[in-house]
Amino acid sequence: MAARILIVEDSPLITDAFRILFMAAGYEVDVAATVAEGIELGTSTDVDLMLLDLTLPDGNGLEILDALRERGSLPRSTLAMTGHKDPASRRSCLEAGCADVLLKPVPIGELLRQIELHLA
Amino acid sequence: MSMPERLETAPKTRQQTLEDQAKEAQRTIDELRARDALKTQFLSNVSHDLRTPLAAIITHAEILREGMLGELNPKQRDSLAGIVNGGQQLLDMIDEILTYVRSASDQVNLACTDFNITELVDQVRMLNQPLAAKKHLTIERLNGDDLPLIYADRDKIKHVLGNLIGNAIKFTPDGGRVWIGFSRRGRGEEELVVEVGDNGRGIARDHFELVFREFAQVDASPSRAHHGTGLGLAIARNLVEMHAGTIWVESELGKGSRFFFTLPLNPPRD
Repeated sequence: MAARILIVEDSPLITDAFRILFMAAGYEVDVAATVAEGIELGTSTDVDLMLLDLTLPDGNGLEILDALRERGSLPRSTLAMTGHKDPASRRSCLEAGCADVLLKPVPIGELLRQIELHLA
Repeated sequence: MSMPERLETAPKTRQQTLEDQAKEAQRTIDELRARDALKTQFLSNVSHDLRTPLAAIITHAEILREGMLGELNPKQRDSLAGIVNGGQQLLDMIDEILTYVRSASDQVNLACTDFNITELVDQVRMLNQPLAAKKHLTIERLNGDDLPLIYADRDKIKHVLGNLIGNAIKFTPDGGRVWIGFSRRGRGEEELVVEVGDNGRGIARDHFELVFREFAQVDASPSRAHHGTGLGLAIARNLVEMHAGTIWVESELGKGSRFFFTLPLNPPRD
């Protein structure tokens, strides 16, 4: 069965591009644009990998990880995406349970490699 | 009014006038600062908002270029590669504007650690090697094997070195030479001087200051050979000055340029 990726990102321009990319690569894809949607989808579906933007309209993306941990619904792996290389932000992502932090925009080859690596 | 009272009144009035002028000047300064902060915020917001659609364009073009949505012929692939490369170049320029805005407005905090600057120079040389190879340029490190560790923000110094070495490659004709050297200065040799030199086209003395000014380019004509934001050296200057260092250039037209920056060898530790 195809692995399921949950994209948490508030820009439809980015989620459209990622949806096409991941579906072409053979993954199932869900999209959440807010912290609330991320928690809801993360709880109601079996997510294998979550691609997490940190800046969301209703809060910080890392809040989703906390909520899913409380509900016992953590995905197998979470990759955070951030726009700037800030060591403090990277540290807080790793401490919150992200497997890695990717600097946006991630070239698609690198993104697919990272996803494959963390789903292995 | 008696005579003595009148004499007392006159200096008070002058003082009052001076105070009023000082207050007015302060109000103007405050207003200009507020406007500058607004402009900075605007530049930062616009640059950030430009990144998202551009990132989407690049991702879509990459998906197509990689043939993930169907086979392409070579011409289609080349055309898509052009979109990706052009988009990436634009993204780099937006990032440069963002870096400048942050470095000029105290939004940047230094994250200092002890590191080996010689290794960092070698790393930046390696990163620039493909670009240099295209122009058959050599990038040599002249010395530096015996330097002590430097306490500074490694990423920021990497940015400065990347900018200076990138410029040296850009402005040196095919077959030229780029070098990096170290020396010390100060009574107790308390400063490290890093030199990035080239035997390229050089800079006129009149432009020694101009090149470090934001948005300034020695050749600003639309037909100029080298395009960019004109912010690279302004960012480098800001980042060096944040480390209590200085940056300058020595150059002769037609013979080459030598850019120098200093870093304190024993800066205060927070």
